[in-house]
Amino acid sequence: MAPRHQLSRDPAAAWAPYAPDAARPWTLARASHLYRRAAFGARAEDLVRALAGGPEQAVAELLAPPGDLTAFDRARDADETAACRSGRSDAVRDWWLRRMILSPHPLRERMALLWHAHFALDAAQVKEAPAVRRHVALLREHALGSYRSLVEAMVRDPALLASLGAAASRRGQPAEGLARALLERWTVGAEHCAEEDVREAARAFTGTFVRGDEVIHVAREHDGGVKRVLGRTGPFTGEDVVQIALAHPATAETVVRRLWRAFVSEVEEPAPALLAPLARSFAAGLDLGRLAGTILRSSLFFSDAARGQRITSPVELAVGLVRSLEGLIATSTLARDLDRLGQRLLHPPTARGWAGGPAWIDRVTLLRRQALAAALLAEGGAYGGRLDPREVAARHGHADVNAAADFLADLLLPEGGEAVRSAARAELSRGAPGEALRRFAIAIARSPEYQLS
Amino acid sequence: MLCELLLVAGPLLRAPLAAPPAADDLTDWLPADPLLVIEAPRPRALFEPLLDAELAAVVTSLPPWQAWAASPEGREFWNVVRTLEATLGLDWRTALARLAGGGAVLAVAPPESLLLVLEAEDADLLLRLHTILLGFARAEAAREGDASRLDPVRHGDVEVWSFDGKEVHAIVGNRLLFANRREGLVAALERRAASPGARLAGAEGWRAARATAGPDAAVRLYADLARLKENPGFARGLEEGRANPLAALLFAGIVEAMREASWLSAGLAVADEGFVLRAVVDGAADDPASPAAFARPDPADAPALPSLAVPGRLAAIGLHRDLHGFYAAKDELFPERTSSLIFFENMMGIFFTGRDLTDEVLAETRPGVRLVVAEQRHDPAAGVPEVRIPAFAAVLALRDAGEFGEVIEEAWQKALGLVNFTRGQDALPGLILDRGEQNGTKLTIARFSTAGIDDRAHLPPRFNYSPTLALPQNHLVLSSTEGLARDLVDALARGAGAGPEAGDQDDRVELDGAGIGAALAANREALVRSNMIDEGHTREEAELEIGALLALIGFVDEVDLRVGRRGATTGARLDVHLRRPAAPAPAGPRDAAPR
Repeated sequence: MAPRHQLSRDPAAAWAPYAPDAARPWTLARASHLYRRAAFGARAEDLVRALAGGPEQAVAELLAPPGDLTAFDRARDADETAACRSGRSDAVRDWWLRRMILSPHPLRERMALLWHAHFALDAAQVKEAPAVRRHVALLREHALGSYRSLVEAMVRDPALLASLGAAASRRGQPAEGLARALLERWTVGAEHCAEEDVREAARAFTGTFVRGDEVIHVAREHDGGVKRVLGRTGPFTGEDVVQIALAHPATAETVVRRLWRAFVSEVEEPAPALLAPLARSFAAGLDLGRLAGTILRSSLFFSDAARGQRITSPVELAVGLVRSLEGLIATSTLARDLDRLGQRLLHPPTARGWAGGPAWIDRVTLLRRQALAAALLAEGGAYGGRLDPREVAARHGHADVNAAADFLADLLLPEGGEAVRSAARAELSRGAPGEALRRFAIAIARSPEYQLS
Repeated sequence: MLCELLLVAGPLLRAPLAAPPAADDLTDWLPADPLLVIEAPRPRALFEPLLDAELAAVVTSLPPWQAWAASPEGREFWNVVRTLEATLGLDWRTALARLAGGGAVLAVAPPESLLLVLEAEDADLLLRLHTILLGFARAEAAREGDASRLDPVRHGDVEVWSFDGKEVHAIVGNRLLFANRREGLVAALERRAASPGARLAGAEGWRAARATAGPDAAVRLYADLARLKENPGFARGLEEGRANPLAALLFAGIVEAMREASWLSAGLAVADEGFVLRAVVDGAADDPASPAAFARPDPADAPALPSLAVPGRLAAIGLHRDLHGFYAAKDELFPERTSSLIFFENMMGIFFTGRDLTDEVLAETRPGVRLVVAEQRHDPAAGVPEVRIPAFAAVLALRDAGEFGEVIEEAWQKALGLVNFTRGQDALPGLILDRGEQNGTKLTIARFSTAGIDDRAHLPPRFNYSPTLALPQNHLVLSSTEGLARDLVDALARGAGAGPEAGDQDDRVELDGAGIGAALAANREALVRSNMIDEGHTREEAELEIGALLALIGFVDEVDLRVGRRGATTGARLDVHLRRPAAPAPAGPRDAAPR
């Protein structure tokens, strides 16, 4: 496979679907890379199926998993709805983490998490948990659908309007929060709009009020005058401004860059020419599933240089580890631990979400990430030893300690970790097999290499 | 495998008994200076429930028990039990009674030394069981190539054994001595010949404490508090009560008595329908200059606190606390002025129009605080909350409600107005203020409206509250719901409740097990969901765990705790009345369940 820098100069080759050959075989490392980036992490059965079916089928199954998703969603929706009605303020956060761990459609949850960072709802500004739950449900519903539908849902979402300080926008005092977020962050970007565009767009959204759990339009509070937004002039409403912003060519590039950062690299700034084919294609229908599929199938995504160099977010790290080890843990405890790692779900630090990338790790958070990995895999403690590496290995036919260690290493760190594997093996020489394999898995999960995907 | 081991062990079953004990009282084996001693002089009283076939039928019919019994661990456990039963020729209940029916004592002494002495009614049975277990251990050691580690070490005429190299034990006559350290066991054996002064019976604190435990106690506990308080963690626990105003208010008198005390004694007596636990410490905390003196108000000024009987009552608490004295001592009780305390005082200043909280507000109350928790009655037509929170209320006696009543009314309405204003800022529904009347008493009621809510079967949690104020019979009633406020007005008008004897200054907590169980059962789904995310359980696991909790509570009928001074000591008495849920009809054979 050509190095990425060569692919970066050849957009057509970069985004062409990866086709395995002798020089670029479909390996465990590549299959694992796909699942860690797009599905938090791989379970053993995912890897077995992916290796047998090839990359095209693996991506297709991530985009549209087989099986009855409706039954899963119905059961989770019922629990989450009831939990929110019980008044427990952190219910949405705790149940969302649980859904990430259990979901048969992990890419959808991964994308919902991406859109959460993009739209950056702050639940502290929303007093009712059911409204926050509905917001997350909207992110999930549109996660892989039409970006147009997603943005249209967001500008009518009472929770997000409250979070943006746009719960009451009067003709005499337009609330700018929604207009600014729409133009500067969700669509064209700050470099393509001026302060005047934001002010004019805010006028278009006047008359919008949040009342209870609905958004209402009060006609007499709407400014029906002529506005000039992104070079277009007219007596626009908020809906008009949304369509104008979505139709702007820069919007497609904003979204493509978002997915580039999520799936390819958070540190490398791609040349506009490299993204241009994706942006052109995306602009035609604003189809998020198609865009995600194109990136995940691409030669660039599976290139050697793209693998193992993206720092996983705390949520990806923990959920990935739990999914890989086929466990289920106390997500209320996990949520509090993730907060200490800098990712307080539903409470992003700024209106731009989380900085991500290298900002996830400093000396303190690295130690805390390692401590969390150890706590998740410990025999007792806060997580009660509910992740059991030995049991998972045995379930997949690896009862012998050494075979189980190989299985776990392949599952968690299939490439780039020879030194880590070797060092971790020292843990196998003492204690009962169950304890030894826990220490082995902890040594891998604590390693710098495991912090990357 | 187990059966093979039993065959191997068989010839050993007739080994000779060791020398008979020289000591008569089990505590004569214990060191003279233990930190903690637990005695079971009448263990049969504890075994009775286990020996009761009817109760066993109830327990084994519970879903959590059946799930455990059907699990691999449960099956393995009962297989071992049945094999032992077959080998010994006894069912496990009889064997247990004969093995431990003579009594038992357990002592903990520093540093980390533990000694258990158990007296069997059937010395031969004890020896046979030991021989069987020794056979298991020998077979295991032989597999590991270290059979000699099971050879006993002789100490005088007694053989001292260790199965795993850590614990040590010996059989002396019909007594089993078990220790976690060899030197502890050897010391116990040597203590038989020691002078009485070197035994626990010679310790003055022990004698005094033992006398308070009650002659009918099936289990007695003694703790050397003077030495336990040398432990930094224990001492810190006693001090922590000072920092928290609520804890200081609730546990005043008890914590001070514990600080003064040198020992704690407790006795557990088992009755037909429950048990009684008595605990005493030799501290009374009777210094009138103490900041905690508010917990010992002048009996002449402190009315008795009859428990208030209201429909669906779950809990009633009566505390002899002088709130005026409590707040007057706040600078000594809480030297650190936290932001919460400052906020509280600022708000009280607003509500009471600048009156001094200590001398112009709390001084208007008489010593004594009663708290009541009761089941809520929701009208389905009006709406039922998704999570049903019981109603709760505080009742205070006032010196002169006529003079002070309107001051309280005004403060209450200001507080409700502030709540409404704050909720309005957050675009949340506010409370509708209303007036009502009950038994000639005016009520100030606040409630949420259900207007515009279609799904009234799953209302939000706020519908558990309709905060209400009433001033009946020279009392202040502050309730979380209108219904409980009305019931309390009626109760106070009746002078309801079994009144304590005159001068009774005990603090009292009464719980209704059936009611609490019903309240939890009404929220079973919410508890299951919380368990799922707090424990990481699947729904099935969570349902099992919550089911076990509810089943356990189902055995408790009533709980009555009284705490107060007993002369120069401070004592507590806990009466727990148990009930026996009806056993379900047999549902066919259950292979894994015990007989």
